[in-house]
Amino acid sequence: MDESPFQIDTRGEFVFPENHRFDAGYGLTEATIDYICDAKGEPDWVRAFRKDALRRFHEMPMPTHWAPEGINDLDFDKIRYYLAHGTAPYKSWEDVPDDVKRTFERLGVPEQERAFLAGVDAQYDSETAYNNMREELSKQGVIFVNSTEGLREYEHIFRPWFGKVIPVNDNKFSALNHAAFSGGSFIYVPKGVKLSQPLQAYFRINSESMGQFERTLIIADEGAELMYMEGCTAPKYDSATLHSGVVELVALKGAKIQYVTVQNWATNVYNLVIQRGLAMEDAEIRWIDCNIGSGLTMKYPAVVLQGRRARGEVISISLAHSGQLQDTGARMIHAAPETTSNIVAKSISIGEGRASYRGEVNVLKGMKGCKNNTECDALLINATSRTDTYPAISVNGNASAVQHEASVSQVDEEMLFYMQQRGLTRAQAMSLAVNGFINDLVKEFPMEYSVELRRLIDLEMEDSIG
Amino acid sequence: MSMEEAFALAEAEAKLKAALNECQARFDKAKMPDRRNEDWRFGRPHVYAKQLVDTITARDNHNYFERMVICDKGNAATRLTRDDDDLLQTEMLMQTIGSDALLKRHIERFEDGYSLYIEEDTTEVIELVYETRSFCSPSTFIMVAPGVKAEVHIIYSCLEIGNIFAACNIQVAAGAELKVRVQAESDGSDGRCMIITNIQNMGGKVMHLTEYRGLRWAREETVAELYSPGSETKLFSANRLVGDSVLDQHTRQIHHVGGASSDLLYKNVVDDNATAIFAGNIYVAPGAHNTDAYQSNRNMLLSEKATVHSLPGLEILADKVRCSHGSASAPMDDEQLFYLCSRGISRRDAQLLVADGFLADVLNKFHGESQSS
Repeated sequence: MDESPFQIDTRGEFVFPENHRFDAGYGLTEATIDYICDAKGEPDWVRAFRKDALRRFHEMPMPTHWAPEGINDLDFDKIRYYLAHGTAPYKSWEDVPDDVKRTFERLGVPEQERAFLAGVDAQYDSETAYNNMREELSKQGVIFVNSTEGLREYEHIFRPWFGKVIPVNDNKFSALNHAAFSGGSFIYVPKGVKLSQPLQAYFRINSESMGQFERTLIIADEGAELMYMEGCTAPKYDSATLHSGVVELVALKGAKIQYVTVQNWATNVYNLVIQRGLAMEDAEIRWIDCNIGSGLTMKYPAVVLQGRRARGEVISISLAHSGQLQDTGARMIHAAPETTSNIVAKSISIGEGRASYRGEVNVLKGMKGCKNNTECDALLINATSRTDTYPAISVNGNASAVQHEASVSQVDEEMLFYMQQRGLTRAQAMSLAVNGFINDLVKEFPMEYSVELRRLIDLEMEDSIG
Repeated sequence: MSMEEAFALAEAEAKLKAALNECQARFDKAKMPDRRNEDWRFGRPHVYAKQLVDTITARDNHNYFERMVICDKGNAATRLTRDDDDLLQTEMLMQTIGSDALLKRHIERFEDGYSLYIEEDTTEVIELVYETRSFCSPSTFIMVAPGVKAEVHIIYSCLEIGNIFAACNIQVAAGAELKVRVQAESDGSDGRCMIITNIQNMGGKVMHLTEYRGLRWAREETVAELYSPGSETKLFSANRLVGDSVLDQHTRQIHHVGGASSDLLYKNVVDDNATAIFAGNIYVAPGAHNTDAYQSNRNMLLSEKATVHSLPGLEILADKVRCSHGSASAPMDDEQLFYLCSRGISRRDAQLLVADGFLADVLNKFHGESQSS
């Protein structure tokens, strides 16, 4: 029997030969930035902006007390910062180069688009290879392009919010992304427009030692609603691969944004993503986050509740196998009165896997009637599994209520025995128990994803114990 | 002495030496508290810690105790002297939560305090009082023999602008039961107190309660270690903070072996401009299966300017554990106030009553439900 009752989903474990027209080489210097800017044909202010960010990146220290030890193994000089076939995405599936097309077909992207998506953005290494959106949406004024195009064509909307939610000096990785960003989506949904179908982005790292620095900015104008989903995969190489994206959401008055991530990177990927949303009056931002892959994930989706009655929510599932550290969590900053937030995080540690929850809830001075509820539950499958919980809660003033609960447990032997007695195999019983543990959260995912998640867990259980 | 015994002794000595060397290395590396240190993040070290360090360092070895009293009918207590190597070593091996540098200075200069070796059941509470008008830095050692029951009451009293830096080491043997009530208080405007406590439980039952009254600044670092199955350690704290006082509490529950249980309940009522900080951690070592560990921090906020920082934490490296932590911070329940007010009690008195009730829960648990205070 395998040591772990789970197996990692291996559908992303394939690779096509590298065939890049643009390659900025290893390491990040001013020359690299000039190369990226020239390749993309970016205006001078972006070039200056990137160089300023690079300087800050070199000046800033690595994160200290929050960062897990593994992060110091990361060598920034052994990463390739820009690799691309071409800089303009294809709008038609037929035009996409064959190897890229085969990659995304294998991952099922075009079928999903036909089936239930309003638009797709598929990123291959540094640049978007394919971007398409249903026509009726563009007639309504919805913009869904990659960040390069967004900066070029829609500078008047993009630039005022660019780097406003997550400033360049927020931390070292924010500065790194500001210096080397490429790809990612820019979405603008005009006033009152409600998208009934989700928009999807697909991130794929194909090349060895690649650093992917996508940059996503989503702006939902007053009363607008949208759901955005992203999926991530990469093949496993011997050398480390870095994914350090920045995602900024802006929900203006009364807007609603749901951001769904299902992350299934290979275990040599450092997944260091900064995600933050700004919710204005009566707006709502929900992060629905699922981390299954990557060797080291540090990801704490945040909502800054900036307007009265704004609402933030983070729903997070993480699965840590042997060799994986899922350091995930959530941050809620209550910067306006009567704001509410909810965090539900569940983690499963298998074999020697380690899952950590880190959270921050901060009710600022003078904010009245704020409420937060945080729940984190951890499930330990083996004797060598590890789980940690590190919340930080600050409350100012006597007009807000904040509560936090965390518990750690394991699959009850009696429960397994009961199910086995009724004819289930141990693997089926275990899978049922694990599914039960995350059931209430899986329901929050869009239908297609929740079916997928359940199937994934079933498969992994049966593969190993059955 | 047989050959085996001689070997065992030599081995134990070598281990102790290694441990002491490790401590020395730790002390050599230790840095003074500042805000970049995670354990001091909210504790305002820039305002308070420096003065504390200066006073520990500047003090000569004269006795600055206004009063150092012990009421102990069993004669278990001895006055500490610097020459006792065992005590020095025990103190060196103490764990802090971010204050190695302060402990190091304390050890360099410590002279006074008491050592209590309790061999027989005590019927009366052993009372220890440390009182100062200037600065004192006492050490207390409490050791309870197997199967013995005892209760100890330690009072740290900062008169006027008195400061206290205290180290306390508690060792409880198998089958022993110990209750320790620690009271730190001040009647002045600028009383400050910092207490580092280590509780080593070898299979007994320990209840530890801390109460802070009237201090401008107080910091608690309590490390409870559980060394054998069946150990039971309970930590309590109940405080009412007023004015611009700061209470900075740090705890660690360390389960070295399985089959032990620990529980923590810290409650604070925070009024005026006061700040309460709680940072707790439960650590379950690899292989410490069948552990029960709980931690709960409850805060009642009474004014607009009151602040609470709560950082409960769990680190679980074992299987088959029951661990949980909870933290809640909320204002006083309006309905409870209304109920009391509608019965003719003034709003202020009603608030005090509700706050007392909130804290009484902790005291009842410590004293036993029957002996309601």
